[in-house]
Amino acid sequence: MIHVLIVDDQALNRILLSKMLEEDGYKISMAYNGLEALKVLETQDIDIILLDVIMPVMDGFEAAQKIKQRFDEVYLPIIFITSLDDQGSFERCLEVGGDDFIQKPFEKVILHAKIKAHSRTRQLSKKANQQKELLQYHHNQNEREHEIIEHIFNNSLENQDKFKDHLDFNLSPASMFNGDMFLVAQSPIGNLYCMLGDFTGHGLAAAIGALPASRAFYRMVSKGMAVNDVASEINTLLYNLLPGHMFCAATIIELSSSGKSISAWLGGLPDAYLIDQNGDVKQVLESQHMALGILDEDEFEHEVIHFETDHETRLAFATDGIIETTNKNDVFFGEERFLETLKSKPMVSCENIVGYVSEFADGSEQQDDVSIVLLNCLPLASQEQVRETFSTLAFNLSLSLNAKQIKQTDPVYDLVNILSGVGGLKDHRSNIFLLLSEAYNNSLDHGVLGLDSNIKLQEDGFFKYYEMREKALAALSDAMIIIDMRYCPDTLSLYFIICDSGRGFNRGESALSATNSEFGRGLSLLKEIAEKVTYNASGNQVEMCYKLS
Amino acid sequence: MNLTKSTSADGTTLTIQIKGKFDFNLVQSFRQAYAQINANIVKVIVDLRETEYMDSSALGMLLNMKKTIESQVGTIEISNCQPQLRKILQISRFDKKFDIC
Repeated sequence: MIHVLIVDDQALNRILLSKMLEEDGYKISMAYNGLEALKVLETQDIDIILLDVIMPVMDGFEAAQKIKQRFDEVYLPIIFITSLDDQGSFERCLEVGGDDFIQKPFEKVILHAKIKAHSRTRQLSKKANQQKELLQYHHNQNEREHEIIEHIFNNSLENQDKFKDHLDFNLSPASMFNGDMFLVAQSPIGNLYCMLGDFTGHGLAAAIGALPASRAFYRMVSKGMAVNDVASEINTLLYNLLPGHMFCAATIIELSSSGKSISAWLGGLPDAYLIDQNGDVKQVLESQHMALGILDEDEFEHEVIHFETDHETRLAFATDGIIETTNKNDVFFGEERFLETLKSKPMVSCENIVGYVSEFADGSEQQDDVSIVLLNCLPLASQEQVRETFSTLAFNLSLSLNAKQIKQTDPVYDLVNILSGVGGLKDHRSNIFLLLSEAYNNSLDHGVLGLDSNIKLQEDGFFKYYEMREKALAALSDAMIIIDMRYCPDTLSLYFIICDSGRGFNRGESALSATNSEFGRGLSLLKEIAEKVTYNASGNQVEMCYKLS
Repeated sequence: MNLTKSTSADGTTLTIQIKGKFDFNLVQSFRQAYAQINANIVKVIVDLRETEYMDSSALGMLLNMKKTIESQVGTIEISNCQPQLRKILQISRFDKKFDIC
């Protein structure tokens, strides 16, 4: 129901108007002056105001101005009540915000028509305002979500500033979110990995794949995997995750900790360039493969390229944003200009290059994300490894193997796995393996199986030896090898005693063997790795002490 | 499989990667990995990034490989050794015979 407010100090006018309107089914409220009208408006939902001009306390002009100021969001029509002799004040009425006039004496048809017309406009205005509020709500929601996502994205990028000597890079997203992705990480043995990726399109939709891809990248690098395995992992992940039309062109680089070699998996980005410090190209590295996320696991192409580098070598690679930048005449920046910029000065920086690109674009709107990386092939310090604390629990471990167990088990490997579970020993597992493997295989090969290392000296003797070993092992029926181990946390020592049922033999000769020989290397290794190695007189028992500190 | 081999995209580098333990159990497969080596190969990389353990039999296998293919292949590289394995190679003076990086 349309709600009309009649504002007039004269009772006659109020009664006349309200009678006319009530008959037509309008809801009526009344006020005696402008100030009261304002009060009514605060509490009632008024659709149309009929406003007298001359009133005590606050006249119609002042009231109209105040009403329009106060209720500016939705159109609230004000129809001034005027007499014919008020003609001079019409202009003033419009100035203060009046929307229409109704003249005394009132004519029902005209009054009715005017109220109808203005309330229709008010309805439209109401609807528009609701839509505006809804739009504002969605806009705020959107902003908030973007802020959250931006925060997550920024936090997902680790290490970017850690390798300032090695890496110079510049990422210029075309919109708030970058469809280009640059990841950096170092493996446990010190190799530096970096990945430049370009997802289809730009903005949030393109950036969304960066989150899982970056997690997979960091995980694989922390395990020190090869670049093709890193690529394969991310490929499978994106293949399963992204819609069919989305993929990620990428270059994945592994620089060895010596800075002297690079392995690269190149999938779909423009050519990379191996350059010297003056920017002269030494080698062009063309993309070898399709982008990540297109081929399934079985079709995926693993081939990498390897090349040697030196400390003066730099590797320049970029997404297609640079060469596809256009100027006002729709001319591409192109590869030739890119190569020119690399040579523009010694040790050119990414900032220089991006500067040239934007100078070329000369104000043309950026169409795509622009990313470039310059990698200096310098040696790397390996990362500090966090050492486990040593277990304080002393223990003995003893096992004796009969012929059947000797044939069927791999006791060295299993023992190393057991010991690796003891706090602090995992860091020494390679050495523990070596000690146990050498001692156990000596006992088995020479003590129990009675093999002669001199076989290895013959033509193809190395392989003959292992063939003979296999045969002898298969024929073994009665034998025993005992392994005793003791862990002393007080002295941080591991003691091993390995004893076999064989006849024993003279260990002296093998200790003399040179490094070139096919055997005997084992014993000298034992002596270097262990603190102490002693054999008993009969040669069927060895004792070793290994220091963990 | 504890041993994988792959040829680089340009066909000049053969990479033999060994996972877990490098010992006499791999004698046959390691020999096969370089047995019929393509004439384009100029470099062989033994990639030990995933090798946790090795013993003297692995050293013997590496020396055998060197003897067999060194006339054909320019460089044999042992790469990505973990520190303890690198030490084993150094003690055995393998740094004099191979490019260890």
